[in-house]
Amino acid sequence: MTSHAQRALDSLKASATQRAAAHSDMTRIVVQVGHCSAAVGADQVAKALASQVPDSSYIVTTGCDGACYDAPRVVVTSPDGARSTFSGVKTEHVGRILGSSGLPTQYESADPYVGQHRIVLDGCGEIDPTSLDEYLLAGGYSGLASALAKPQEKVIDEVKASGLRGRGGAYFPAGMKWESARKFPSPDRYLVVNCEEGEPGIFKDRHLMEGMPHRIIEGALIAAYAAGVHSIYIYINAEADLSTERMKQAVDQAARAGIIGEDVLGSGYNVSVTLRRGAGGYVCGEETTLLNTMEGDRREPRLRPPFPTEAGLFGRPTVINNAETLASVPVIMAHGAAAFAETGSEKATGTKVISLSGALERPGVVEVPMGTTLREIVFGLGGGIIGGKAIAGVAVGGPSSGILPDSMLETAIAPGMLHESGVMLGAGGVIALDENVDVLEAVRSLAKYNADESCGKCTPCREGTPRMVDALDRLLSGAGSPGDLDELRGLAEVVGAASLCGLGQAAGGPINSALHFFGDELAALAKG
Amino acid sequence: MADRTQRNELRATLRERFPRERSQLLPALQYIQDEHGYLPGWAMEVAGWHLGIPSSEVYGAATSYTELSTSEPASHVIKICTGLGCRANGSLELLERTKQELDSADDGNVAVEEVPCGYMCAVAPVAKWDHDWIGRATIDDLKAIAREATSI
Repeated sequence: MTSHAQRALDSLKASATQRAAAHSDMTRIVVQVGHCSAAVGADQVAKALASQVPDSSYIVTTGCDGACYDAPRVVVTSPDGARSTFSGVKTEHVGRILGSSGLPTQYESADPYVGQHRIVLDGCGEIDPTSLDEYLLAGGYSGLASALAKPQEKVIDEVKASGLRGRGGAYFPAGMKWESARKFPSPDRYLVVNCEEGEPGIFKDRHLMEGMPHRIIEGALIAAYAAGVHSIYIYINAEADLSTERMKQAVDQAARAGIIGEDVLGSGYNVSVTLRRGAGGYVCGEETTLLNTMEGDRREPRLRPPFPTEAGLFGRPTVINNAETLASVPVIMAHGAAAFAETGSEKATGTKVISLSGALERPGVVEVPMGTTLREIVFGLGGGIIGGKAIAGVAVGGPSSGILPDSMLETAIAPGMLHESGVMLGAGGVIALDENVDVLEAVRSLAKYNADESCGKCTPCREGTPRMVDALDRLLSGAGSPGDLDELRGLAEVVGAASLCGLGQAAGGPINSALHFFGDELAALAKG
Repeated sequence: MADRTQRNELRATLRERFPRERSQLLPALQYIQDEHGYLPGWAMEVAGWHLGIPSSEVYGAATSYTELSTSEPASHVIKICTGLGCRANGSLELLERTKQELDSADDGNVAVEEVPCGYMCAVAPVAKWDHDWIGRATIDDLKAIAREATSI
């Protein structure tokens, strides 16, 4: 039997199909404009194209496909399906591009998707993020329709069976989080979509918000339905203006189409969605700090327990999920837990979106199955070090994690720890360092970041993180002594053990990884 | 110091836009910063009146977030990212040379700041000139900006 939600969705899709027919015999010109590609001229290219486009073509501004090394990119698809991809486009190329529609495809030679497995990012850089129609026609909101036709427990069971874990860095099982919020008795509950992403070297949530805002919203609606939530807050980083613009537009469109609001898709379920902006600071991505920010307090973490699933926003049970986690949910509901769990490793199902940067030939945003090795990511997808130089190390997981040497690149990505010295996958940042970068200087810059971002609530973190930097400075300036190594070791342990939130608990990560992998270099410095 | 009219005007605007709930503090401060470029002391006080939050707590929150500023910014700012991804692409040299360029112009009108990450690591090195980000920034880009900045 077809459910109410499915029927409502089918009728939305039918009208979308009708509207799309207007473009069926036209050439489609896609300009990929994200906050990064705009900084290298994509917005200018989009303007130039729009001013010269012939009547036989239409322009679509999408997010990016993740091939940032080739940005700005323009993809021309003629009505017969032939594609031409143009990379590194400048405004002066526009005339040539418009004259060349129908050229044989140039795509195969530089397909950026080889070696990837795109579930979360599928459609990024292809479909129009400002068009609900295009998302619907690509199968969008069918996961929501399928969820709304099931009892809430069944939705939670399905997500539990898929093995989906949080992609923000802590990798807590998503279904369990929803269940605990749902089971805690309360008149209301909240869902907060964590798009704070204030971690250096990570830009994948922005990429996703700019490219596929509706997928995040669909995932959030499914999560909210399952957890018994009727108010969703989407919390977006202070600087991510383009992300906010596209998310806001998507929320408004979904509301107009009856996908958000009263009686979602005729199912009887009610939900509201509110956008909030952050105000800066790494620690704000930490979930209890994020709650304080939303309530108008300082950016400081809260004591746990109580956990947010019991007493979170305004003291009510609150589910906090990362944008990428929620964007994995629609596919689970649309195609089933088993289909999702086929990807990845035994320990961890699904994919991970990786922000690739540093001294790489092909930096960008890629999505790979869990269990892919760092070597495949850095040398396969990332194209190796610029100019074929030697690799000095890879910073994985940001300032709360650490740096791995070349010899450790066979490590497969997995939720949580990648190495016992404190190197974690985190939110999936991979920064490659070439031989020209001093690894210990890089460690110092991570330590300095932690010291600057410490909110000051816990004394060990507030006082300990600057002392780590001082000790590293002594070593790097040639004034080091063996005592400095002991101090670093001791500080890393104390700060980690005596801090409330993840920032302090993991602040020793860069130090510990350096002591473990680059211990000889440090010992040489300690001798003065 | 703002006069009574300015305070009253702000109070009326806040009343119109923001419900009197503590959770509206950050949105209200963000609004004020958008209007003034920073958070003037008197405006924080007015926000406190409207939301029923003591000035000390408004100030506490305002100074705790990196994107909020309680002092008037320089007329122009060049920000250069010195995160790891940008460092691996030569941002420290960019920073050094931009500072030299501006020092030689001896202009107090332009501030050069380091930022820990611009979150655009895949088009590193990145810099920001007032409100515009520049990806794959070169010395020549920044020299041109420095020249423009000192001639304003």
